[in-house]
Amino acid sequence: MGNVNVIIDGKKVRVREGSTILEAAEVCGVTIPTFCHIKGLLPTGVCRVCVVEVKGSKTLVGACHTPASEGMIVSTHTPRVVAVRKVIVELMLTGHTGDCVNDPNAENCKLHNLASDYEVGAPRFNVKSPRFYPAEESNPYVRRDLSKCVLCRKCVKACREIARKDVLSIGYRGFRSKVVSGYDEALTAEVCRDCLICIEHCPTGALGKPVKV
Amino acid sequence: MSDKRETTAGGQSGSGLLPGLKAEVEQRDYLSRETLEGIAGQAGLPLSSVYGVASFYAFLPVTRVGRNVIKVCNCLPCDLKDAQGVIGSIKKELGIEPGQTTADGKFTLEMVGCIGACDQAPAMLINDKLYGNLTSEGIAGILKSY
Repeated sequence: MGNVNVIIDGKKVRVREGSTILEAAEVCGVTIPTFCHIKGLLPTGVCRVCVVEVKGSKTLVGACHTPASEGMIVSTHTPRVVAVRKVIVELMLTGHTGDCVNDPNAENCKLHNLASDYEVGAPRFNVKSPRFYPAEESNPYVRRDLSKCVLCRKCVKACREIARKDVLSIGYRGFRSKVVSGYDEALTAEVCRDCLICIEHCPTGALGKPVKV
Repeated sequence: MSDKRETTAGGQSGSGLLPGLKAEVEQRDYLSRETLEGIAGQAGLPLSSVYGVASFYAFLPVTRVGRNVIKVCNCLPCDLKDAQGVIGSIKKELGIEPGQTTADGKFTLEMVGCIGACDQAPAMLINDKLYGNLTSEGIAGILKSY
């Protein structure tokens, strides 16, 4: 495989063919925010936070999954990109039900951090019936609070590709989409042990260690 | 790239999944845990992945349904032709909300995406039978025929 030359925010960079825009940006020291991406794993491309402007492309493209191609000119922080990113974060916040304000772990919530980086206030969008799932404490190792989940699929990927357990998947569709285990059952200790890799990767606190009383 | 990832991302062993699920649904009314476990075992996929696929599709029920399943189209053309009135009429007639089954187990009411009968909007399916050009008034007669 050969190399390709791209320009990212005015910086020339030469990367191996097949590298993503995100990888190329990293090489030349440009930071593109990501949310659903886990470095080293196959990109998911669902959160859209990493969108960038590519000269000649009508739409913005996801940096984490778009391969860099020869002569590509990429801008990562134009007003258009920033405006779109803001709305993307706002939309994710809308589906992020939960008591983050009073949550001692809220500072660990990467979505809230991202929202404050991009100065996203309270979401404007009204939700007819917010996604709500009772918090699940059936597993001695993992506490699941799916109301906080924004379906970034990091846990699914981490479980599948890092832990090689493949316990989780995405079930249902549209607004009802949800991370499911087994036949949409509680995550019991029988299927999920104490590797805690999913907790490490969960950006929102939907997965955490059980609260000790 | 791991082999596991390729299979679960819809590789070869996942390719026969949908026809398999469809065949199962034709034989029994819904896809139970046991059924999906069997399919998952054959396909070499985890149960959660198979459940994820099944629960995505309105035509692959993962919960127990009534003897007759009413699928009312919820898309724009039907909506413009007063699907809401029809849905209201069915709800009133059966006393259930979408997603529910009548107490006698006779009917389950579901809302589905386009069923490809926009020319006959508003439309619904009862089991495999298509009813088009529905009116709120005509619902009672159709339901009585079951």
